Amino acid sequence: MTATIIDGKEFAARVRVKVGNHVTRLKNDHGITPGLAVVLVGEDLASQVYVRSKGKMTVEVGMKSVEHKLDINTAEADLLVLIDQLNNDLDIHGILVQLPLPKHLDEELVINSISPAKDVDGFHISNVGLLGTGQKSMVPCTPLGCLMMLRDHHGSLSGMNAVVIGRSNIVGKPMAQLLLGDSCTVTIAHSRTKDLADVVRRADIVVAAVGRAEMVPGDWIKKGATVIDVGINRLNAPEKGEGKTKLVGDVDFDSCAAVAGAITPVPGGVGPMTIACLLANTVTACCRANGLDEPEGLTV
Amino acid sequence: MNGAQIDHRLIDGKAVMARILDEVSAYFAEAAIGGRVARLVSVSIGDSPEVAVYVRNQARAAVKAGIRFDQELWSNEVSQEDCKQLIHEMNDDPEVLGIILQRPVPDHINVRSLQSAIHPLKDVEGMNPASIGNIVYSDMALAPCTAAAAVMLIKETGLDPKGLEVVMIGHSEIVGKPVALLLMAEGATVTVCHHMTRSLAIHSRRADVLVVAVGKAHLIGADMVKPGAVVIDIGINHVVGSDGKSQIVGDVDTDAVKEIAGWVTPVPGGVGPVTVAMLMRNAMAAHQRQKAVGWIE
Repeated sequence: MTATIIDGKEFAARVRVKVGNHVTRLKNDHGITPGLAVVLVGEDLASQVYVRSKGKMTVEVGMKSVEHKLDINTAEADLLVLIDQLNNDLDIHGILVQLPLPKHLDEELVINSISPAKDVDGFHISNVGLLGTGQKSMVPCTPLGCLMMLRDHHGSLSGMNAVVIGRSNIVGKPMAQLLLGDSCTVTIAHSRTKDLADVVRRADIVVAAVGRAEMVPGDWIKKGATVIDVGINRLNAPEKGEGKTKLVGDVDFDSCAAVAGAITPVPGGVGPMTIACLLANTVTACCRANGLDEPEGLTV
Repeated sequence: MNGAQIDHRLIDGKAVMARILDEVSAYFAEAAIGGRVARLVSVSIGDSPEVAVYVRNQARAAVKAGIRFDQELWSNEVSQEDCKQLIHEMNDDPEVLGIILQRPVPDHINVRSLQSAIHPLKDVEGMNPASIGNIVYSDMALAPCTAAAAVMLIKETGLDPKGLEVVMIGHSEIVGKPVALLLMAEGATVTVCHHMTRSLAIHSRRADVLVVAVGKAHLIGADMVKPGAVVIDIGINHVVGSDGKSQIVGDVDTDAVKEIAGWVTPVPGGVGPVTVAMLMRNAMAAHQRQKAVGWIE
């Protein structure tokens, strides 16, 4: 094995320290405490776990955390009233509505009713358009985390060939925009791409975000390339005992690590960065709302 | 023109324009039966001969498309706030179907902030961030006109973008990025190149479809094109010809490239006319959307 393992846990911890330092400065110098509101509708187990750990980390970095847990049968109008209140609440700088929402709620309508300035997930249609046109926006957390890791590893990304596999709205497309913003030559490959192996082989940077377990083998990777694995797939792992499962990414870690220059593991790679970037976005939103300089290194 | 003289390697933008305008005109003729259709308003800020040419072309196309077209010329001294106010009034005016904000604008005007002020349902140029956001999310109804024109011309060849390798040279906000998004949504594998790209020819040579929008006269020669490829030339460059006269050329060396490529769009007469036609088509899309949300009967 030759590749440097990019330790997402350790890097995310460093990002959270930076966020925490900035929060301290905001409190001491300006008397402002950044606030993040998380709205959870229903009792989806995975969502509850996420929301709990988001809340915990928000408090750990010194920010105010507000959780709104709503009944699964909450009417859309009531949810919109709550979002409107949060939009107008001066102590709240970031609003996150945990997805997926129950089927009777119009996800698009709900997300687009969040004030774009408080949309720390970066899913509001205006933020999507602002990012798509290279303007200041709230950037979706997962691709922002990937970009931070790439910048940290390489310094400048300018002129590198980047291939993003997967064209999802929450990862693939914003990731491509961010890499273009850092002057990479960017190819977006997907399920319809012919000769995917050839396309991936020319990449200095590969970002895999398709949601197919271990789909990218080592012989698709150019020697020395950096591989960012966004996939989280659960596979049965009978070798660990009956009924046991394991998490794997979209790339076949062992064969890719033998060729790549650097690679993120799953778990412990991109995953931990997502919440760290949510906190970073909240601080950024807070600074913008108060007309203060944005925290360096925590935004695009 | 005699049929034998037509070079079928050149994609005729004017013919495509005429077809689109016919379609739009038929739509508005029918819409007018239900009552008078609102008008398009072109806003120019400050006097510029360059802008005047665009406006004239758009006005002509609007006539052919059966759309009323008003030209407003705001003073060079108008403030940002006043512009915003005027745009908000047009947003609220049921007599205004769509707003076109001509560029360039004077230096003291922040054009992006004004584009954001135009209501997305009246944004016939597809420049509001929300319109671009919709494109990113694969809702193509109101795409920026030049980008939409490029896609239209690719389809004119009869090729299905699905699975094709597209190389977009240039990553501007109004052309390069939206073209990439539109073609990605159509299932193409898209690579975006720009001034920091190393070995441009390596990328351009593997393209089934090459779209060029950089503003460098004749940047793309025959040696940069794969045999049989579709080449869409969005560049408009003023150069002095061998006869000493000023002429307009694209980013592609058309004469050389057409010997290699399967199809190439000429400049002028390729993407330009289709862009104007797409503006009228967007007016149609805006009308349909305004109807769908109940703004108009």
